[in-house]
Amino acid sequence: MLNHYLFIRRMIMFGMEAAVFILFACACSCKSVKPYQRAYLNDEAMQVGKRPIEKLSSNAHNYREGASGGGKAKSSGGCGCN
Amino acid sequence: MKKKYIVFGLLAVSSAYGFSQPAINPFPKKKISKSSIQIVYSQYIQDGNHSAITGGIGTEKLKVYAPEFIFRNEIDSANSYSVDAGVDVISSASLDNIDFIKSSASKVSSRVYLTLGYDRNLKNNRSLTWGAKGYFSIESAYTSLGAALSLNWTSPDQSKEFSAELEGYFDDLRWGRLNGERPLRLVYPVELRYRDWFSEYRRRSYNLNLSWQQTLNDRMILGFMPGISFQQGLLATPYHRVFFKDSSERVENLPDKRLRIPIGIQLNTFIGGRYILRSYYRFYWDDFGILAHDFSLELATKLNPKLTLTPLIRLYTQTAAAFFKPFRGADPAQPIYSSDYDLSAFTSYEAGLELRLAGFAKQRRGIYVSDLDFRYSFYKRSDGLYAHMLSTLIDLITRKKTKLKNFE
Repeated sequence: MLNHYLFIRRMIMFGMEAAVFILFACACSCKSVKPYQRAYLNDEAMQVGKRPIEKLSSNAHNYREGASGGGKAKSSGGCGCN
Repeated sequence: MKKKYIVFGLLAVSSAYGFSQPAINPFPKKKISKSSIQIVYSQYIQDGNHSAITGGIGTEKLKVYAPEFIFRNEIDSANSYSVDAGVDVISSASLDNIDFIKSSASKVSSRVYLTLGYDRNLKNNRSLTWGAKGYFSIESAYTSLGAALSLNWTSPDQSKEFSAELEGYFDDLRWGRLNGERPLRLVYPVELRYRDWFSEYRRRSYNLNLSWQQTLNDRMILGFMPGISFQQGLLATPYHRVFFKDSSERVENLPDKRLRIPIGIQLNTFIGGRYILRSYYRFYWDDFGILAHDFSLELATKLNPKLTLTPLIRLYTQTAAAFFKPFRGADPAQPIYSSDYDLSAFTSYEAGLELRLAGFAKQRRGIYVSDLDFRYSFYKRSDGLYAHMLSTLIDLITRKKTKLKNFE
């Protein structure tokens, strides 16, 4: 069981390093997009931030974990003390 | 000569006919007001064995049923307002352990909340929008008032978007307002009510949320979401017990200030013609001693133009707060102590599936069903706590056209 959670921890650290690498690579490859090229970008799933259907998950994470914020999730206004 | 007379005659008749009719604008200006109604129903079922109410041991069984109604109306191209109202019906086994009376009213509690919002495009600069929000919520052990101001800027070519939001929440942790009880007071575990443990009953939270969104190319969007949050006042929960090494017992005591810094990064990518990969990473630090990493992936798969299936996975890890101690692990000489496992060191994962049906062409009485969403996920924490989360959403859209008289 312990090894299982160590694996999760390692995966997260790998994800963090990958995210930093992707961020750097993407920031170097910006190019302008014409309005008629926005068909993919306007898709609902491409929108940045939390969607209303994710609200329950976000609230549960805020209440059951020490961390909160970093993506338009509310970080107060309820005790979650149950 | 005859032709000339015919032409003049036709012109005279047509002009006379024309002047006798009221001027008709073939393109009258219309005001289009668009409304969106979202109805969300969520259910949360949790169990575990580390309740903070019983000092880090005991049941954490909890059920929450949460219907919510979100209404947004675009009055015209510049102004819009929104109403978000909902109820959380909470059935908690651990709340009963405040006073160990199983039939008490605490067994089923509820939380009612209302958010009112207004957004406006600035007249001289259509790419700039400001907004204001007011928030109110009440539950048996909590009353919260909140306000927020926001500013949003979008570049003319829509490739960049910046938003900033400043929030303030002013909470009162005294028990009984929802039940109409007087006097309002902090509630402690039944055996610890021989003294008032806290003189403070307010909690104030100030959050600054920033967001920078950059279109990288015609298939990639990057979001960078840093924030800072400061809390002050009674941050402990008055009915959380702590059992010490010497078998003595007290109410949880936390610092009266907390500084939190989250930084979120999101990258959404269209892979091929059918797949959208939503990846998210968050770094978090606070002065309680918690350092957390949060990484999630969602792969939206378009099975056909109307149906999208999204498997999702989330991995999370955090270090413990400096003062966290398990049951009978705290030193009585310490000034700050807690046995709340939400502040312990743990890893967690969440796995789930989302189904989205969109693009309904049919309308009834001017109301379109825009989309239907279903989402289920399973959450597991390394200390044994687990939860099932289920949400359904119906998104309805109405459009109403009104002619503007001044332009007719």
